[in-house]
Amino acid sequence: MSLVELGLYFALLSLVSVGGLPSVMPEMQRYVVDVKGWLTPSDFIQAFAVGQAAPGPNVLIASLIGWKVAGLPGAFVALGSICFPAAVIAWWVAELWDRFKDSPWRKAIQRAIAPIVVGMILSGGVVLATPGTPDWRLWLIAAIAAAGMLATKLNPLWLLAAGGILGALLL
Amino acid sequence: MSEVRETPVTPPKDLRDLFTGFVWIGARSFGGVMPWAYRTMVEERRWLTHADFTETIGLCQFLPGPNIGNASIVLGKRWFGLSGSIVAFLGLMALPFIWVLGLFMVYSDLSSNLTLKAIVTGVGAAGAGLFIGTAVKLGRPLAKKPAALVLIAACFVLVALARVSLLVVVPVGLGISLIAARRGWL
Repeated sequence: MSLVELGLYFALLSLVSVGGLPSVMPEMQRYVVDVKGWLTPSDFIQAFAVGQAAPGPNVLIASLIGWKVAGLPGAFVALGSICFPAAVIAWWVAELWDRFKDSPWRKAIQRAIAPIVVGMILSGGVVLATPGTPDWRLWLIAAIAAAGMLATKLNPLWLLAAGGILGALLL
Repeated sequence: MSEVRETPVTPPKDLRDLFTGFVWIGARSFGGVMPWAYRTMVEERRWLTHADFTETIGLCQFLPGPNIGNASIVLGKRWFGLSGSIVAFLGLMALPFIWVLGLFMVYSDLSSNLTLKAIVTGVGAAGAGLFIGTAVKLGRPLAKKPAALVLIAACFVLVALARVSLLVVVPVGLGISLIAARRGWL
């Protein structure tokens, strides 16, 4: 049953995932941890960490959440349902988008989406850095990674590695 | 860069070429997919010009769904129709899907080790920091627009603090934001 629920919910999330996976991370956490209790807060941040460190689109984190909920079928269902509705939209919109190149609506839509995406991604970062009770050590690591990303052109893998080292020292 | 732009580009020869190109993108994409997508499609295989690439990614960034996943759908369709979309998407996901599950299986076996758990939790916190950094980067051009700042703050309060569902916040937020954009506030 949880497999069907997970699939349907992720498919709904797919439709509102403007800005990609970072935007929907707070909602995934809310649903699978707070509402359903399928994962603990600690499970969730660890699945996220492994997904970030592995190569590939970060949407694969969804497959790890699915894996924790329902094994291999869960991994396939979670990845498929978070991607498929959005893929159908991309398929239809791509041509329309070219056709309305000079429409004022197209420009309005582009401008309207930007602040929502920023708000969602910011929330995603803060929620992920706060699994369970607030912990200054996790916030410190997150702040260092954010600063490192903004101040340097390092491959993000180095910042993740630094986070791992700090984790070993502090946690 | 300028040489790349002047060289004529040719779309992938066939579905096989498209598939191997996207497999190659996925296989190498440690630390983020976009730079590898650029290197493979624009610099190495010359499927796309720099301008085409930027335009396509620009579109995919504000569609729902993973950016690079959307790009595989849009480009696959442009070159080979529906079969192109399917082939490009599967090529992109195939190896990373195996990597990530494999890594997670190995990790799950070892996760009773507390040091390893601390390291991975630290990596997760750093990953969260990268999201915050991304938000700041994307938000900078909006900083001089009060309406945009209000919308960002409202999203943050509702989603991160009040934990309201995205299924409510996104449609309502987009509606309000669209009105603001049409009035020239954004």
